[in-house]
Amino acid sequence: MTATLVTGGGRPRGPQGGSTQHTPGDPARESLETRAPKRKLDPQRIAAGVSLGVIAVLALIALARIDISIPGMFESVGNAQRFFERVGGLSFPEPAKLLQLTVLTVGLVLTGTVFAAILSVPIAYLAAANTTPSHTARAIARFIGVFTRALPDVVLAMVFVLLFSLGALPGILAIGIHSIGMISKMFADAIEQIDEGPRLAIRAAGGTKLQEFTVGILPQVTPSWVATVLHRNDINLRGSVILGYVGVAGLGLEMSYAFKSLNYGLGLGIALVIFVLCVAMEMISGAVRVTMLGENAGKGVFVRLFSRRGSRPGARASVAGGAAVGAGSALAGEASVAPVFASPVFASPEAALRRPWTGARARGVFFGWLAFAVVVAGVVVSEINWGDFFTFWAKLPPVLASFWPPNFGSYGFERIFFAMIETVEIALAAALITFVVSMVLGSFAARNVAPNRAVSGGARLLLVGIRGIPELILAIVLIVITGLGAQAGTIALAVGGVGLLGKLIADSLEEVPRGPERALIAVGSSRTQMFFGATLPQGSQALIGHTFYLIDTNIRAATLLGIVGGGGVGYYLLNAGQGSNYQLVGSIVIMILVTVLLVEGLAMWMRKALR
Amino acid sequence: MHEAPNLSALPETSAPAPVITVDGLTKRFDETVALDNVSLSVNRGEVLVLLGLSGSGKSTLLRHFNGLETPTSGEVSVLGERVNRLSGRNLRGLRSRVGFIFQQFELVGALTVLENVLSGALGSLRGPRLGLFGYSRELKLRALGHLDRVGLLDRAYQRADTLSGGQQQRVAIARALMQNPEVLLADEPVASLDPESSTQVMALIREIAAADGLTVVCSLHQVDLAISWADRIVGLRHGALVLDTPAEGLSKAEVMEIYGRVATPTDELEAVNRELVGA
Repeated sequence: MTATLVTGGGRPRGPQGGSTQHTPGDPARESLETRAPKRKLDPQRIAAGVSLGVIAVLALIALARIDISIPGMFESVGNAQRFFERVGGLSFPEPAKLLQLTVLTVGLVLTGTVFAAILSVPIAYLAAANTTPSHTARAIARFIGVFTRALPDVVLAMVFVLLFSLGALPGILAIGIHSIGMISKMFADAIEQIDEGPRLAIRAAGGTKLQEFTVGILPQVTPSWVATVLHRNDINLRGSVILGYVGVAGLGLEMSYAFKSLNYGLGLGIALVIFVLCVAMEMISGAVRVTMLGENAGKGVFVRLFSRRGSRPGARASVAGGAAVGAGSALAGEASVAPVFASPVFASPEAALRRPWTGARARGVFFGWLAFAVVVAGVVVSEINWGDFFTFWAKLPPVLASFWPPNFGSYGFERIFFAMIETVEIALAAALITFVVSMVLGSFAARNVAPNRAVSGGARLLLVGIRGIPELILAIVLIVITGLGAQAGTIALAVGGVGLLGKLIADSLEEVPRGPERALIAVGSSRTQMFFGATLPQGSQALIGHTFYLIDTNIRAATLLGIVGGGGVGYYLLNAGQGSNYQLVGSIVIMILVTVLLVEGLAMWMRKALR
Repeated sequence: MHEAPNLSALPETSAPAPVITVDGLTKRFDETVALDNVSLSVNRGEVLVLLGLSGSGKSTLLRHFNGLETPTSGEVSVLGERVNRLSGRNLRGLRSRVGFIFQQFELVGALTVLENVLSGALGSLRGPRLGLFGYSRELKLRALGHLDRVGLLDRAYQRADTLSGGQQQRVAIARALMQNPEVLLADEPVASLDPESSTQVMALIREIAAADGLTVVCSLHQVDLAISWADRIVGLRHGALVLDTPAEGLSKAEVMEIYGRVATPTDELEAVNRELVGA
């Protein structure tokens, strides 16, 4: 073997002088090098890899251009001190007014989210591959999802403020329609992941399509759907502050008024209230999830975002399975492996008609009615002017006409275009910072990577804390305090992203098969070698997917950042809206739509190519 | 919308009335032939086993009986209806008269046992159902009665996925009974169960069939079980019908012979088997 290798090694073969030419019938003379198969490279993978590199370079350039300097930041901390001296501390609205505004804000967000969830059910049914009646229906449903997701809720609110009398309704509709995109996509994903068997059983018993859905599908997707709606509600509460800038009632409107009248103390006071509200809502929805879903939390990325890893879905089942004792059955005395556990014994079918009250049932009924009451209360406090639904049709054609034809007004195309570029730069730069920080923090949060439990536990706790921070509020506070625009916006976005990406990275790393790690430890590698040799390669695919998800959400968030003074195209969007220059609004919206759809298309292609 | 199979209304004739007739049934999935010109007739009250290896076409044949599959060519009639010509409401009407038991039980794990049994009545109800409130007291009482019959009344309000495999299959049987079926189809009902649960489930099906006068078609791959359980055995191989015999009085040698004809995967093995039996 060795001889062949040596003799063949340096001898050139074939006309090219390379070692690619194969001489059949002379295997002994073939070198190992020539006999080894050449690595086949898929052109799509190469293209995806190159794109990945290009994006990384672009992100670096963007970061350099935004010019976040550490000394600059320290200097702005000094600014902040002077700022607070000048402002004279935080102030708040009157308690009664504050309560009313808070209730209204939560109410309209909740109503909007529920509205979106209801509309998302039929759209998800048509969009899911296993329930859709036809390819056309599926294409239409998916288009609705992509389109509503790409359309910023601020723009929707701008339109609805023109159509409806002022108040909560424009906000509800804007949140509702914009949220359909994400909710219907997650709902459809959940439908596609169901076990088809129960559905087939309903069909075999003569059930209709609708019965297949309510009995066979709905119970299976409920945990995932609930998690999605709760998560979206949190996002919507965080986003609701922006809607105030375009005239939607609530805390956001009050805050924008305060900043406009240069009452920074009051503005920041309200920002703090919203901040606390977001954190409180996050904790409440976390508690709801645990109560409602327990350990059988189902599948899907949003369920995973909230579930603690390591919980076993089957753990409950074994406890609950009791033994059938006594009942006059044809098969008394069956073998049962599970322990007897509070299983009620019914004397007859008549006696079993009344469902016994167990703790679990009582809790279920209580929380069910509570959830219903909360939603009803949300609708009530939003003070919806239902009459608007009859009158707005008349306003619709002229309002829509005022957006057409799109033009760039006095700014000109170039100025808007470069503002859009700045938005993309902010998104990319923030994603880069987030990625680097999350790689470190997320790796240490993964139990199989961290040196001990204390480190992983601490890192997890830190990630949970960061996720509680609403990035838009953080951006507003940073912008107001430091006086910086794009830099403050980028940092706010980057911080917000760590909570999401860090958690997803930690989970992906923990989920890799443990065998290869043990194998590397067995050959005597260090922990670092194990990480780079076994853990990271196995988790890299999920990692790239999550990073693109982050870039995707960053672009959407960055377009809004300008509205609060964080740089980019949002500034022009707000200006155009306030100056009633709707043709400019129209052209900016088209630009945002194109950018968002391009990024989404790119992300989809990358995920497929690098699979 | 029927309440009970009206047996007394049927004309009493000397020749038993066929409940299922299959005539020249062929089914292709792309290139593979799943069923190859199968003709068969099953009489009322018969308990028939379809015997064959996995991939021999048993499940596909069963699924033609309630219209879950449509033939490439040939005719299938069940309870006087031409299954392959039915659609929409008429097809659902026929399905509600035919109970179907799956190998993997196919219960909705997140729902209670009682809700799962009640879902068997959906074919005779209009509109969707959500939760126990959607069903009448009378239906609930019937469902509980069926649960009592399969020995699981006490489990009525447990989540279905907290039961063992054998218990889940008995719930599935109760669900099928909820349809007031005239025909019961079972697709490898015990293939996912341990021997003890298998015996219980097979005994239960047999007992219910006798008590309610059901026609049963059950696919199995275990020859011994088929012989001790069925009235009649039909063998399938590569989608073709290769055996049709009463089960009663089959001897051990005949079992071997059946095994050779039904369960041998390749023709060479079959030739060897024929030689052995002949010797």
